[in-house]
Amino acid sequence: MRRIALTAVSAVLMLSVAACGSGSGSGSGNAATGGTLTLAPVIAAQPWDLADAGLGNNAQYYQPVYDPLLRLSPTAEVKPNLATKWSYDAARTVLTLTLRSGVKFTDGTALDAAAVKANLLHTKGGSSEAAGQLTSISGVDVVNATTVAIKLSAPDPSLVPNLGNVAGMMASPKAITAGTLKTAPVGSGPYAMDKSATTAGSTYTFVRNPDYWNKAAFPFDKIVLKPLTDPTAVLNALRSGQINGALLASAKNVAPARSSGLNVTKYTSGDVEGVYIWDREGKIVKALGDVRVRQALNYAFDRSTIVKTAKQGLGKATTQIFNPAGSAFDSSLDSKYPYDPTKAKQLLAEAGYPQGFSVTVPDVSSVFPDQQAAMVQQLEDIGIKVKVDKIPPTQLISALLAGKYPLSYMTLASFRPWDTIQIEVAKSALWNPLHSEDPKVTDLITKAQSATGATQDALFKELNTYLVDQAWNAPWDSVESNYATTKGVTFTPQAFAAVPPIYNFKPAG
Amino acid sequence: MIVFLVRRIAAGLVLVLVIATTTFALMGLTGSDPVRQIVGQTATQQQVAAKSAELGLDQPMVVRYGHWLADAVHGDLGISWFSSESVTTSLANKLPVTLSIVLAALLLSAVLSTVLGVAAAVRRGVLDQLVQFLAVLGFAVPSFLVALVFAVVIGVHLGWLPATGYVPLADSAGGWLKSITLPALSLAVGAIAATAQQVRGSMVDVLRADYIRTLRSRGISERSLLFRHALRNAAPAALTVLALQFIGLVGGAVVVEKVFGLNGIGSQATSAGSQGDTPVVMGVVVVMVAIVVVVNILMDLAYGWLNPKVRVG
Repeated sequence: MRRIALTAVSAVLMLSVAACGSGSGSGSGNAATGGTLTLAPVIAAQPWDLADAGLGNNAQYYQPVYDPLLRLSPTAEVKPNLATKWSYDAARTVLTLTLRSGVKFTDGTALDAAAVKANLLHTKGGSSEAAGQLTSISGVDVVNATTVAIKLSAPDPSLVPNLGNVAGMMASPKAITAGTLKTAPVGSGPYAMDKSATTAGSTYTFVRNPDYWNKAAFPFDKIVLKPLTDPTAVLNALRSGQINGALLASAKNVAPARSSGLNVTKYTSGDVEGVYIWDREGKIVKALGDVRVRQALNYAFDRSTIVKTAKQGLGKATTQIFNPAGSAFDSSLDSKYPYDPTKAKQLLAEAGYPQGFSVTVPDVSSVFPDQQAAMVQQLEDIGIKVKVDKIPPTQLISALLAGKYPLSYMTLASFRPWDTIQIEVAKSALWNPLHSEDPKVTDLITKAQSATGATQDALFKELNTYLVDQAWNAPWDSVESNYATTKGVTFTPQAFAAVPPIYNFKPAG
Repeated sequence: MIVFLVRRIAAGLVLVLVIATTTFALMGLTGSDPVRQIVGQTATQQQVAAKSAELGLDQPMVVRYGHWLADAVHGDLGISWFSSESVTTSLANKLPVTLSIVLAALLLSAVLSTVLGVAAAVRRGVLDQLVQFLAVLGFAVPSFLVALVFAVVIGVHLGWLPATGYVPLADSAGGWLKSITLPALSLAVGAIAATAQQVRGSMVDVLRADYIRTLRSRGISERSLLFRHALRNAAPAALTVLALQFIGLVGGAVVVEKVFGLNGIGSQATSAGSQGDTPVVMGVVVVMVAIVVVVNILMDLAYGWLNPKVRVG
């Protein structure tokens, strides 16, 4: 008996000690009452300092506290926000913004042109994805308290829309100078973090900023973010009403979510997956330098079957690396390479490879087992011998960027046409690791950079058509995601966004 | 006794140091690329290099380990490379979650396995067979499956207890108890099975011993016989199993925390390990090894308290 007593006493003692060390947090989730919106991001929060900010799923963390200079509509049209007007000069290298007056950060600092300058330069100086969207900025001039002039080293067709996302968000310059932003956000956004109800890593609570200028756009009084990385935990939390919305990372959870009465919305997440051909000039595998070989690869893949089986229906078959929501996309191009292994073999024979050839690809089976199996099988079906190089998943990106492999399965984020060009197509682009160059591609990029409106859209389309004709890659599908919400909450999907922004959520009814 | 304690604590400290050094070396040798994961898919190589330098990853591993160790000795376990949170603060937030479910599971297994083991040893017959059957079943079913069934049936369908999330004890005692019940039960099932078998076996042996027969012949009450004499002698073996179970429970917590969406040490260890977040992994390892060392010392003390024969000078 004493043994039991001893165990019990020591356990109770340790539990009390444990409890003393805990932070506070809200454990009981709220049903959709219209008062609180509880979402479960599928990734952990990054530092609150915007210089370290990522895009995609990360944006939801920043949206409650930080207001961006511009606001994007669900179809990604640029609307006024902190900046009420914006215009370029004739050379499109100076962007002048007129700021809303009277806006203050929650620490009382004024949001003026100096604050905007401090933020843009601070974020640009960082080392994350948001910083990457500001690389064209060469300087920022404070014209007067409400006017700021952003100078660019070269025209950047994506800059204005990017200022409507994380890259254009504003933090208190006082907090930037103090260096306290990494762990405590201070913004001018619709909400402010409630530290007493926040436990880093498990619950982030945001309450209304009483001085926010545009309260009507944010119907919920409180936003709670509870990161949940396990798909089963996400589904259980949704079904028991502990959270109002979350991404269903596993397609297997869609049917159980629907049968539990949850709303499940499918939308294009912005990623494009498939086989990316890095070695278009045949530097590693000579055969890939021949356009007929690259076209053969495109005919080798049965895209709709891959989407149906390997992707469990979560994707739209495509031959293009551009986002379907962007102006470069042309749906007619998707029928360019129907599944035709005979035609593929014929093209290989014409190019002088009747027996195929060998390629070494990195192993992605630990993360994308079905996709890897589909790629290997369908390439081998047309006579291409695939050797899978075992490398740890954590080394995959570095190895690909170092130009180690001629081709691979990959999924890359596809934003606006100009972003995709800068990230994947231009000679110096990060995801053009072997620096493929084609005079026509370079020419179209140069023209599109300075063009505007319909002319620019036409140039983007022309470039896309050329890249598909030249089979620069063999994409399979634009990835689709499922986002589930409980009955009391509705949302509108957002173009170019991995998850809907918090301002697209509304109480139902 | 003091010499024994000092010797055990010293050995424990050496163990922590050896494991910390090995872990640091292994983290460095895996060749993972945490910087690319931190900065994202589209960050430039210059940004990668800048982040690398910021984290000190451009320095040799021995130098980095020296810095880490010097800081750790002063109680500073560094900053998470991914979240910029202090590792010490983060552990202080997450340790209560894991300890709550592990210790509750340990308590449950101590109580239930004793009740079941003693009952089976004393009553024998059908009850004994039933307990043994349940023990085998409990041992065979993995804790993640038990956790999944509990979460879906009790948490989602019946709605009796929360299916996910943790409420700190400081916020609400009732909420805390509700939030840890299902995870602790899921964890405890295997431990109860193993310990009940041990208690039963030891009790059966002790009850057959000559001194029990002698005591019984002297007319001592059955209750006193069972709990004052038999159980006390049967306890050390069960206690050893329980101490081993603690380590197993900490491992099991990794899975159970994931299923119940609890942000404890277990889920932190897995995510930090896969990302290559060295400061967090080191913090988790050091703290967990220290806890295991402390539990083992406590168990040794309890062992000596229960059985004076094993007390050492």
